[in-house]
Amino acid sequence: MTSNIRRRKSTRKILSRAILYVLVVLIMVWTLAPFTWLFITSISTQVKLNRIPIQWLPDPPTFEHYAAMFDPASPTGALFLAALRNSLVIAGTTTILCLIFGVLAAYALARFVFPAKNVLIMGMLATRLLPTIALVIPFYVIIVSYVDPIIPMFDTRHNLVILYMSFIIGLVVWIMRGYFATIPEELEDAAMVDGCTRLQALTHVILPLSVPGLVTTGLLAFLLAWDEFLLALIFSRTPNAYTLPYFVFIVGSSQYYQSPAAVAAGGFLAALPPVLLALIFQRRLVSGLTAGAVKG
Amino acid sequence: MAESVVRRGKAGLLRVGRRRGEQRFALALMTPALLVTLLVTLVPLLYALYLSFHKAEIVVVGGRGGLLTEFAGLKNYLYFLRDSRFWYSVRLTSYFTITSLLIEMVAGIGMALVLNEEFFGRGIVRALFILPWAVPTVVNARMWGLIFEPHAYGALNGLLQTLHILGPTETLNFLAPIPIFQNVPLLGEITSWLGATQGINWLIIGDTWKVLPVVALLTLAGLQTIPRELYEAAEVDGANAWQRFWLITLLRLRPVLVVILVYRTMELFRVFDIIYILMAYTIPVLAIETFRQAFVFGLFGKGSAIAFLIGLLILLVAFIYIRLIYVEE
Repeated sequence: MTSNIRRRKSTRKILSRAILYVLVVLIMVWTLAPFTWLFITSISTQVKLNRIPIQWLPDPPTFEHYAAMFDPASPTGALFLAALRNSLVIAGTTTILCLIFGVLAAYALARFVFPAKNVLIMGMLATRLLPTIALVIPFYVIIVSYVDPIIPMFDTRHNLVILYMSFIIGLVVWIMRGYFATIPEELEDAAMVDGCTRLQALTHVILPLSVPGLVTTGLLAFLLAWDEFLLALIFSRTPNAYTLPYFVFIVGSSQYYQSPAAVAAGGFLAALPPVLLALIFQRRLVSGLTAGAVKG
Repeated sequence: MAESVVRRGKAGLLRVGRRRGEQRFALALMTPALLVTLLVTLVPLLYALYLSFHKAEIVVVGGRGGLLTEFAGLKNYLYFLRDSRFWYSVRLTSYFTITSLLIEMVAGIGMALVLNEEFFGRGIVRALFILPWAVPTVVNARMWGLIFEPHAYGALNGLLQTLHILGPTETLNFLAPIPIFQNVPLLGEITSWLGATQGINWLIIGDTWKVLPVVALLTLAGLQTIPRELYEAAEVDGANAWQRFWLITLLRLRPVLVVILVYRTMELFRVFDIIYILMAYTIPVLAIETFRQAFVFGLFGKGSAIAFLIGLLILLVAFIYIRLIYVEE
């Protein structure tokens, strides 16, 4: 009797383990298959892509589309390399500026009591809620009719850096304020008793302790800037300023269009830096996202 | 306040003495971030509000842009509130948002529950799981464009043919604007009123792929804060798995789920990239309509008005969610 029950229990257990593994496999297929298909398309010849019924693996694979991307002499290559350089410069500069400005503000908000502090915190958070489309119109009108005649802004990298700060700086302040709150205030008190000024206490004691938080926040900021499309679409026209998302957009839909494989290769390359960063810093990003959302 | 000063002793007294200097220091630290926010958020926002009450057009004279504005009062707002196309956009955006939210929440919670179990290779699976989130939206749009390709060499058509769901010469045009549920009496009418089509549904799948990791990983973080003893106690009390899920898991997850709901609703309500890239102006959700008013027709006043209407709708939804959660607690 008891052995019968035990056996039934163990069959149930085996069954539930089996279901669990099937679900895990399904999740992995769903997660990886589309991106794998992007890669397969990118290493396919046009002949393979046109074959019916569908041919799942490229035979033989070709890396000509990747070679073309890195060849400055080819038309797509020139566009791609300019976009890659712009994306790196714009996302990098935006991240650094937002980190510097955001960290200072976050520290003030985490440590000091001053008038209208809560209004400022809420205001910084509210900048995250604004739809970009609501800011694009005033940005465009202000820049085209007032700023551009004095300082050239249209189709420049510094313009995009400034505009990107609008939706990133609030995030940096929000996450870093939470991070500073977890560092005991006694550390600065001790440093100041030892003769540090308040600013030195911040730069010599608190910031070194905050490196993990800074890395996470910097990564999130970089990924956000790397991903941005709408502002790049409106404010860039030439290789002076356009970013990788803009490149992937035009290479798939305009006079630059060559083949699905070229689009896939460009897309894969544009996705590679953020994907690698996310896989390497996976734990930190998840904890950063959690800090940004759950504790909020 | 006074109590903490006493408790912290000497350091606390030091702090009170420093208060005045500290305020000035704090303000100095805040200044750069405040200036940036003022310059790139507050001023543009107020300017957009100003534009929304004007008829505003850019006139290019000799290569230089000049702005023509003419006070219009509430005309821009009234124009949209009376325009059936605007309300169609509202319904379309609502359909996109609600359908996406339903799929994201159900699939996200399901995936989080699976990832919370112990299984072989869990570390690797959880690590790879974040991949879609890192793929830029534009790349995501192009990728799903390749998958939904209406020819036999499109991945989804190929898959359906390989599985013999489609015949060897049959193909589907996934992104076509085909109305759904047309043979179901009431549902068919509701979906056509909403503007729902097969094409939008497939776009929702593509858009969901990118954000599911965030939804699931945030839910997973919430799941991990639920103490195991709660489940054990409930099991002793005779609660079945279903009851344990509703009474413990979902109830405990509620704060996390509200944050996800608010955040996702705001993002979905302003969806632009994937629709603009794959469908251009054929699915006029609110952000697409705003973009068209401003940058295709050059009507910046009208565009600003519609942008503010989107903002109001988002605020309203966020307010309802927060009310629903915190009033009950």
